[in-house]
Amino acid sequence: MKHPAVRWGVCFVLLFLAVLALLAAAVAAGSVGLTLPQVSRALLAPGQNPLAEGIVRTIRMPRALSALLLGGCLAVSGYLLQTYFSNPIAGPFVLGISSGAKLAVAMAMIFVLGRGRTLSSLGMIGAAFAGALAATGFILLLSLRIRRMSQLIVGGVMVGYICSAITDFAVTFAEDSNIVNLHNWSLGSFSGTSWGSVRVMALVTLLGLAACLALAKPMNAYRLGESAAQSLGVNVRLFRTALILVSSLLSACVTAFAGPISFVGIAVPQLMRALFGTGQPLVLLPACFLGGSAACLGCDLIARTLFAPTELSVSSVTAVFGAPIVLWMMLRRSAAEG
Amino acid sequence: MRAAKSIALGAACALMLTGCAAQGAQETAAQGAPGPNWASLAPTGELVPEYADEFSATQYEGGYTFLQIGEAQYVLCPRGEQTPTGLPQGAAVIETPIENAYLTATSAMDYFISLDSLNALAFSGTNADGWYLPEARQALQTGAIAYAGKYSAPDYEMLLQGGCGVSIQSTMILHSPDVKEQLERLGIPVLVERSSYESDPLARMEWIKVYGLLLDKLPQAEAIFAQKVAELQPVLQQPAAGGTAAFFYITSAGAVNVRRPNDYIARMIGMAGGEYLAPDDGAETARSTETIQMEQFYETAHDADYLIYNSTIDGEVRTVQELLQKSTVLADFAAVKAGRVYCTSKNFFQEPMSMADFLLDVHTMLTDPDFTAGKYLYKLS
Repeated sequence: MKHPAVRWGVCFVLLFLAVLALLAAAVAAGSVGLTLPQVSRALLAPGQNPLAEGIVRTIRMPRALSALLLGGCLAVSGYLLQTYFSNPIAGPFVLGISSGAKLAVAMAMIFVLGRGRTLSSLGMIGAAFAGALAATGFILLLSLRIRRMSQLIVGGVMVGYICSAITDFAVTFAEDSNIVNLHNWSLGSFSGTSWGSVRVMALVTLLGLAACLALAKPMNAYRLGESAAQSLGVNVRLFRTALILVSSLLSACVTAFAGPISFVGIAVPQLMRALFGTGQPLVLLPACFLGGSAACLGCDLIARTLFAPTELSVSSVTAVFGAPIVLWMMLRRSAAEG
Repeated sequence: MRAAKSIALGAACALMLTGCAAQGAQETAAQGAPGPNWASLAPTGELVPEYADEFSATQYEGGYTFLQIGEAQYVLCPRGEQTPTGLPQGAAVIETPIENAYLTATSAMDYFISLDSLNALAFSGTNADGWYLPEARQALQTGAIAYAGKYSAPDYEMLLQGGCGVSIQSTMILHSPDVKEQLERLGIPVLVERSSYESDPLARMEWIKVYGLLLDKLPQAEAIFAQKVAELQPVLQQPAAGGTAAFFYITSAGAVNVRRPNDYIARMIGMAGGEYLAPDDGAETARSTETIQMEQFYETAHDADYLIYNSTIDGEVRTVQELLQKSTVLADFAAVKAGRVYCTSKNFFQEPMSMADFLLDVHTMLTDPDFTAGKYLYKLS
């Protein structure tokens, strides 16, 4: 297509339709066979079939919406970091977010549950969120002292290593049950999402997306380079802080509610760049959100239906689909440079 | 682009509103005639365990039972009776006798088998291959009990469709609070059983009374328990046979996992007339096992009269050679040199009602030099 706007328009329509189709499939499909009329009645005319309503409204819908929202957050977070670091394999967890969350969850399991006390899911989510934000805070402090982008990535990787080392240390003295459950948590899952959690995710997503759209213009300037951005009036330091904060908030939200989910944050931005043929933030931000939503909806549907009642880890499915994409991207980049 | 922004914001708002509406429908209060006021019910009996610490129960008029397990509270409501009002805060209501239960606590299966109540179970958190109890394995294979996903990732739709009446979980579920909360949101009460927290082996057997309450078979449960205790009396009343024993397995990292002195295995060896050997650092802990370095285990157990290998984690060993492949250091142990090395059978930990039989096996091991195989212990060749 000669005019990029036409191409973008078509791609957005296709993406939107894909998300709607996958959302519909996620609500319609499951281990219990429900007909489409049953699903429709459960959604639109409650009171006729309590079983179908329970399945559709309490189990499938919140789960599907969480995959939609969190998948979008992951992809947007990955896009922000890839743009900022000019590194195509920078992902939402490169700054140690998931390691910080895992450390906090491990501490909660060992020191709260290990003492015979109980922890609600809100407590677990809160612990993961706190851990993720603590890692974020540390990275922000580093970013005030470190000027070079590559060094900041190294700093993020080191934060991840430190958190993982402390987690391993704590786990050494933990009960086998804590080790097993921490492993289960770190596989990532959208299972068991409640409507209350969906509301919080939606709020964080809305705020995060609004912040991203506000950063779109400086991001566009930053694509030309730091000096060019400065000359265009961008406060680079403030921009860097805001971008890291927004990206970390989005990925912290994902980690807190669903655990670490791999590859979506790395692979989807690459796909959207190739699909839309542009790097403009105002195009790619909504595109990445829709792409991430579609990816997580599709992968979660596969994870919970392929071997039902056994549920695969969603990270395994995203890795199976995402890793070849990352490889393809690396080979393509290598071919272009060669 | 402005349009794109508007669409995105509008979609997000629509999603939130849909969520609110859907949840509003879900939150419509359950209808039903009010039952008796809990405070007005008079207690009719008390179930005071003889050995167990983790449960107690009080029976009330109308057939209601208040069951306390650890800090959790349950009100057992006879099927067909109205749920009482004014229940204690946080108490979960379970209709009895239970039906279509989802069992993820593997050690609890034995109680159902002992009470001839497998038909109360419809779902399992362990598939057929994971069961060593032949009755359980067969039920999974024939489909009488369906595999509904493991405790941390149950198939909620299957449970809902199958009319699951209660989920019987181990304390592992406390590490996945979102799963417990989701089950409760779906109207499936969750009972977290704590039989594995009993350090007295007789207490573990006594938990059959809890399942007797759940299945409306308390008299049968009490009779079975009394019989098991009676079988042990001849052994318990004998003077100590003597003999030291270590109970362990070798981890994949080459360390040694042993039971702590307060653990029920250690106490069973003591009750059988032997002396359990384990490094005791004197630390007060609720943990029942400990992983130690080989040299520490060597110091503690190289003179032990008997070695018992725990087959649960990495499988049974049949010969001393197989054992030495796990660690050649064991060749120096007195028990290995004397040919007094035994192994537990894999089904042992799934059969809490077997405590008496295991204790008898240990007693025979300590007293009969020709002992080669019992119900749960066999000698390595």
